Amino acid sequence: MSEPLVLGIETSCDETAVGIVRGRTLLANVIASSVDEHARFGGVVPEIASRAHLEAISPAIDRALRDAKVSLKDLDAVSVTAGPGLVGALLVGTASAAGLAQGLDIPLYGVNHLAAHISVDYLTHDLPIEPTIALLVSGGHSSLLQVDDITSSVKKLGATMDDAAGEAFDKIARILELGFPGGPAIDRDARNGDPSAIDFPRGLTTSNDWATRPYDFSFSGLKTAVARYLESTPRYVRADVAASFQEAVVDVLLLKALAACTQSGIDSLVIAGGVAANSRLRHVAQERCQKAGISLRIPEPGLCTDNGAMVASLGSLMLAAGREATQGAFDADSSLQVERLSL
Amino acid sequence: MTLTLTIDTATSRTIVGLVKDGELLFSESHEGATDHGRAVSELVARALKVQAEPDQVVVGMGPGPYTGLRVGIAFAHAFALAREIPVIGICSLDAIEVESSDYTIAIDARRKEIYWARYEKGVRVEGPAVSKPSEVEDFLKDLYPSPLRAVKISENQNFTEPFYLRRPDAVATADRT
Repeated sequence: MSEPLVLGIETSCDETAVGIVRGRTLLANVIASSVDEHARFGGVVPEIASRAHLEAISPAIDRALRDAKVSLKDLDAVSVTAGPGLVGALLVGTASAAGLAQGLDIPLYGVNHLAAHISVDYLTHDLPIEPTIALLVSGGHSSLLQVDDITSSVKKLGATMDDAAGEAFDKIARILELGFPGGPAIDRDARNGDPSAIDFPRGLTTSNDWATRPYDFSFSGLKTAVARYLESTPRYVRADVAASFQEAVVDVLLLKALAACTQSGIDSLVIAGGVAANSRLRHVAQERCQKAGISLRIPEPGLCTDNGAMVASLGSLMLAAGREATQGAFDADSSLQVERLSL
Repeated sequence: MTLTLTIDTATSRTIVGLVKDGELLFSESHEGATDHGRAVSELVARALKVQAEPDQVVVGMGPGPYTGLRVGIAFAHAFALAREIPVIGICSLDAIEVESSDYTIAIDARRKEIYWARYEKGVRVEGPAVSKPSEVEDFLKDLYPSPLRAVKISENQNFTEPFYLRRPDAVATADRT
């Protein structure tokens, strides 16, 4: 008997995404983004995102089935992001997934978006990597996690106290007039800049912080420092500002991630989420992990940003581990905690 | 001999029905403006216990508060896709049963406004539109779409887009003051 076929739906923000996996093999990964519609607003507008999801979801399902060369009747389970995210956006996905699962009479898994980001790594290899430390960095989240079992046990070590890392990229890109989304724009501009040109602050790294909240992040001070620098330096070099800002974010993310590995004695690190697509973060992470003897995994850039494959992947792992499917009807949970892996 | 599953989430009520040749086999509703996600799954599961194989789905396309409205539409489309059966979109206001032929009907649109439409001889002649209640004369309210009437009107209409009637609230960065 072949491995189970799982379709995953992701609509927590501005990407309408459908992925299909068989066991741990990726068969289709379709993403329709409404990001262009949000650009002139400088951020994601929830109602625009929700409308776009409703329009895009059925065509995305069709397309994923065609790409995977399977039909709906072949599916063994449906998996969907149940939270966290924008509630109106999430509900389009959960309602679609429930309609599919009930129509096909197959199990439905309502899964955690954050855990799904990490689980996408499992599509690229067969090796068990748990336990692992996971650094989850995106436009909406920045958390440091200890993953003992991605289907049943994830512990939050720390998280951002203000802006998410990706949010900081968006805000700085806006001040530098680099457009939205800010991550790719700063990454590009920073390649022509000097990362050590300006010494921007690393948030929550005083000795007191290391003693009291070693794995929490803060990016609001950095944002203020960049704004102040621009005000006081009328003839600033944009690429240097971009590179130095990016360096400050990358440095603090990795300082804390590696400290978590050392402290816990776990010599494995997974970096996931949209910011994991950042080329500087990938490069520096590689260098520092190699030096520290930590095995590093970062999904390919296309699987770091929100996608359906990651949701299908976590659903498939849940099914394989014999976890109970979501019983009956459920509502999306916009503030679902990371420790709660499925509903 | 067509068996129709009806779904409407345009109001605070989630309404699911099963209709076969003008006969109501199942009709249940759940009151709760933020419960549509849970309710639609539960009510459809119950309906399918009465008759498991509907031939088509009729779904209310609003107007109605957006978040709940989209839940019904998304569910209906995905269910129909899974079963390989057609889905027909109707105007939810048209599916409200009124014992009169000339009337104006309104449902809550939040923000102190109403979604409304005016009917003459049972046919919609104005709307659906969104207005302040003071701008609309003599409207009926607190009435809800009926599965029987939804199926009846689905013979003559099929809307593929939801009736949003308002643009999303957002101000472009260039226009901010």
